[in-house]
Amino acid sequence: MAAIITETQSIKEAVTSINTIELNKFSRLLSRILQKLHLKEERTFSEEEEQKLQSALSLDKQNLSLVLDTTAFILEQAVYHNVKPASLKQQLEKIHLSPEKAEAFCQAWTAVCPDVVEKVRQRIFAPKKLEHVGWQLNLQMGTSTQAKLKDPHAVLELGVRNEDSESVVEKVFVEFSHQELLHFYNQLETVQAQLDSLT
Amino acid sequence: MSSHAKVAVGASKDSSFLGGRIPSEIEIMAKQLKDLDQEMFRKILKAVVSAIEGKDCREAMKAIAENAALPEERLSYVVAGMYRLLKEALRIPTSSLKQEVFKEDLRELRIPEEFITDFASVVFGNRRTALEAVATQQGPRLPSLKDFRWRVDVAISTSSLARALQPSILMQMKLSDGKAHRFEVPVSKFQELRYNVALILKEMNDLEKRSVLKIQD
Repeated sequence: MAAIITETQSIKEAVTSINTIELNKFSRLLSRILQKLHLKEERTFSEEEEQKLQSALSLDKQNLSLVLDTTAFILEQAVYHNVKPASLKQQLEKIHLSPEKAEAFCQAWTAVCPDVVEKVRQRIFAPKKLEHVGWQLNLQMGTSTQAKLKDPHAVLELGVRNEDSESVVEKVFVEFSHQELLHFYNQLETVQAQLDSLT
Repeated sequence: MSSHAKVAVGASKDSSFLGGRIPSEIEIMAKQLKDLDQEMFRKILKAVVSAIEGKDCREAMKAIAENAALPEERLSYVVAGMYRLLKEALRIPTSSLKQEVFKEDLRELRIPEEFITDFASVVFGNRRTALEAVATQQGPRLPSLKDFRWRVDVAISTSSLARALQPSILMQMKLSDGKAHRFEVPVSKFQELRYNVALILKEMNDLEKRSVLKIQD
């Protein structure tokens, strides 16, 4: 397996700092970073938390950033190459991370590896993503243009989320008559056939 | 419904298909039709019908207005009355309003017999289905799906994952209100969408079979 981490100057500095951190604290740090790894935009720690970390780990601001960034980088690389825990441990020892820290990485990685990889795999690139499907079936009894109807009509509500807005979901309403819905369903069946042919 | 006292000879009827109170534009039109020649009537009728179909009839109306020996005021009464009459008649399904009843109602308005035949041929003739289709489109509706396109992609590799092999679906929907929506659909959501659409179709089928709906009115 090709090396996922090359020992650059900043890596060396980060490793030195990491090696000074107490093992328990470091393990907790690892889990926390792993939890948020699949989320692109969010910062793992808030400003406040970073300040607390500085004093807890006795690192100045610069070194703390370096440690956090490097740890995240190592984990991202592990995800990218989908490395096995044993291989990860080897590589970490190669960059002179202390054995106990390398073991901590390994254990944390083993615990969450498949989940994180799956979550990252599910991450989608398009600016908008379908999140919610709701519907309503109505029986139209009449309109201003037609009396005495008995027309079943469906309204589909598609909740589409924009990539950058965490909370805003745009609701798209589409109305279908029986005929129109049948046509739509046939098109969905074609898509399904395509998906089936992939496996 | 207020009852309109009528002197009926023969079979009695409560009211016209136009309701208890005849709309004023129709009554006025009925008077105007008295000495209108049939060719002129037919030209105007044709223009009104294409207006109901949603076509642009400005040219036709202009031609009629210019050529006719008809004063503009009179023409406007006739057009307004025709439009209203046809719209009201087309609104009622043919299962409820029969041709004979329709003609009878028009006779009561004292519309000349030839014109009654012409009106009836529009309402009950072979153009009926096209006119009904337009009525469905024009009724108040949420946007409907005009165009639906899709794409199935497989992400082989991304900046976060060297071997991703993740299929995803990109959908583009163009709605009748002109808006276009393009969004990606995770495979699991797609299954949910497909399942829900099938469920609605099943419920629609069940609904259509229920006896309540078989009652003719």
